[in-house]
Amino acid sequence: MSDQTNGDPLARLGTDAETGETMIELQELTKRFPGQETPAVDRLSLSIPKGEIVVFVGPSGCGKTTSLKMINRIIEPSSGHIIIDGEDVTDIDPNHLRRRIGYVIQQIGLFPHIRIAENVATVPHLLGWDKDRTRERVDELLDVVGLPPEQYRERFPKELSGGQRQRVGGARALAADPPVLLMDEPFGAIAPITRTRLQNEFLRLQTELQKTICFVTHDIDEAIKMGDRIAILQEGSRVAQFATPEEILTHPANDFVEDFVGTGATLKRLKLTRVKEVEPTEALTGRVDEDRETLRQRFDASDWTAMLLLDRENKPLRWLRGPDLRQQDRPLEKAGVRTRALVEPQATLSDALEEMLLGAAGVAIVVDRRGAYRGLLDIDAIITSIQTMKDAQAEYYRAAKLADPEDEVPA
Amino acid sequence: MTFFTEYLADPRTRDALFEQTLEHIYLTAVPVGMAVVIGLFLGILAHRSPQLRSPILSVVSTFLTIPSLALFAILIPIVGIGATPAIIALTLYALLPIVRNTVSGLFSVDRAVVESAKGMGMSATMRLWKIELPNAWPVMLAGVRVATLLTIGIAAIAALVGGPGLGQEIFTGIRRIPATGSLESLLGGTLFIVILAVLFDLFYLAIGRLTIPRGIRE
Ligand SMILES: Nc1ncnc2c1ncn2[C@@H]1O[C@H](COP(=O)(O)OP(=O)(O)O)[C@@H](O)[C@H]1O
Ligand SMILES: [Mg+2]
Repeated sequence: MSDQTNGDPLARLGTDAETGETMIELQELTKRFPGQETPAVDRLSLSIPKGEIVVFVGPSGCGKTTSLKMINRIIEPSSGHIIIDGEDVTDIDPNHLRRRIGYVIQQIGLFPHIRIAENVATVPHLLGWDKDRTRERVDELLDVVGLPPEQYRERFPKELSGGQRQRVGGARALAADPPVLLMDEPFGAIAPITRTRLQNEFLRLQTELQKTICFVTHDIDEAIKMGDRIAILQEGSRVAQFATPEEILTHPANDFVEDFVGTGATLKRLKLTRVKEVEPTEALTGRVDEDRETLRQRFDASDWTAMLLLDRENKPLRWLRGPDLRQQDRPLEKAGVRTRALVEPQATLSDALEEMLLGAAGVAIVVDRRGAYRGLLDIDAIITSIQTMKDAQAEYYRAAKLADPEDEVPA
Repeated sequence: MTFFTEYLADPRTRDALFEQTLEHIYLTAVPVGMAVVIGLFLGILAHRSPQLRSPILSVVSTFLTIPSLALFAILIPIVGIGATPAIIALTLYALLPIVRNTVSGLFSVDRAVVESAKGMGMSATMRLWKIELPNAWPVMLAGVRVATLLTIGIAAIAALVGGPGLGQEIFTGIRRIPATGSLESLLGGTLFIVILAVLFDLFYLAIGRLTIPRGIRE
């Protein structure tokens, strides 16, 4: 189910509406630090669905970290309740609570004096797992986060790069397989290229693990990329909007959200849709094993100004124009111009647009994993898809409004 | 100079110096040992409690400002002469470097490390013993080392209040100046104190090697 639900935003909403299971429920959660007039977190209420990534995003100092740390009670709430999996955990032993919740922070906080394996084994030790089970689990997790155990098990944290340390931090948080993960700007201190890779790996992992994750960031782009749902927070952790990335981009609830999302909203939306979700158009094609005269006749009979030449495995080779077909002096494989801007179905529309602009053709050629031609994607198709997405969202939320009058429907 | 040819060549001097060296080791190790136990406790307390921090640090600093001879003398009416006033006084002197380095060692532990330990569900006691103290240990050990060197030096003065140790040889020399052999006694006592200090330093080097985890070694 993971693949389907992650691909199509509307399908995903549908699934949640059906199961509707809440994993973490925050009720009027408030934190008032001593000596401060206004609460850092002011009556935050939020339901976090099981198996989803919910991102808390907002300007610096708005109370994201404080909100997150109240969930595992690193910061004790002044008032309000935390319900996890149906159990009120506001007053239970915090150490037992924390062993059931994975915790990842920006500074990672690996224990510098012990080896990587012992770091990862922290919670299993606390839970009294036996040696064999712990060692097996540590190796499994190091594998999962892409650090070969035989190579990294015995190292110390200072012997790893920042990205590797964050992987260990993730493995340590996952060690006892907690159903809930709290992550506070986990990729914030990591160089951009590594960060993108870690984000992608993390998302891939999540499709298997299906953890319930609270993820804090100040970066709206990261929020859009990582979140199944986003809570945009204002000062005092007041929820400006709690919705899917799609809805926040297409229907910002108010000026604050609109400002926070910023002017690049349309471009950001392109990152949400994959090429495979858009119907490709057919090009005029010809194959190298066809007769040149046949190709010329087909070309002349069409309205196309260029023909896409495919090789014997249907991989795009060249763009051919009329004169290329009429001149006999060059083999077809060398005529015309080389094809560029090839995109795979799982690329985002944003990637496709970038390819189009680089290729200067105004179109991208969609190819499958083996590189075989599937269709064309032009700029018009991208613009149309944005429009369609907007309409589909509007439909969906009109339906939601009829079904549940309590639902907050943005104007 | 007859230092090597006569003074050290005399087996009686060598025996006396050897015995005094053992006494001196005792006079150093016992106060430092007690200061470690008390200092660890006070240091942890000062780290935990902002209210107690400056009173604790002020009191242990004040000890070190009392001239050693005066402190020995003050203790005589209470505990009598001999090794006891010296051991008490030396314990008080050794506290400052130990308490101070325990506090700064604990503060030097990365807050993110302690927070992640907390986030994993370690209790306060476990955090202290498994995370905070091991990571503060290099700084704490440096404090113990300074305390030891300090104690070795000040312990010499204990001889003036009837205490044991290499101070006896030194003060024998001082009292007999300018008689022949007085300078040799002074130098002999001093030389053995210096040697002792070097040996203790090597000892701490070895302790550091053995006890500081590789992950936090420089
Ligand atoms: N331990 C603390 N004591 C006092 N004030 C704090 C403490 N932690 C956070 N705050 C205050 O609470 C507000 C929210 O902080 P925080 O949750 O860290 O924001 P964010 O993570 O969104 O940047 C800020 O005004 C901050 O100064
Ligand atoms: Mg923060």
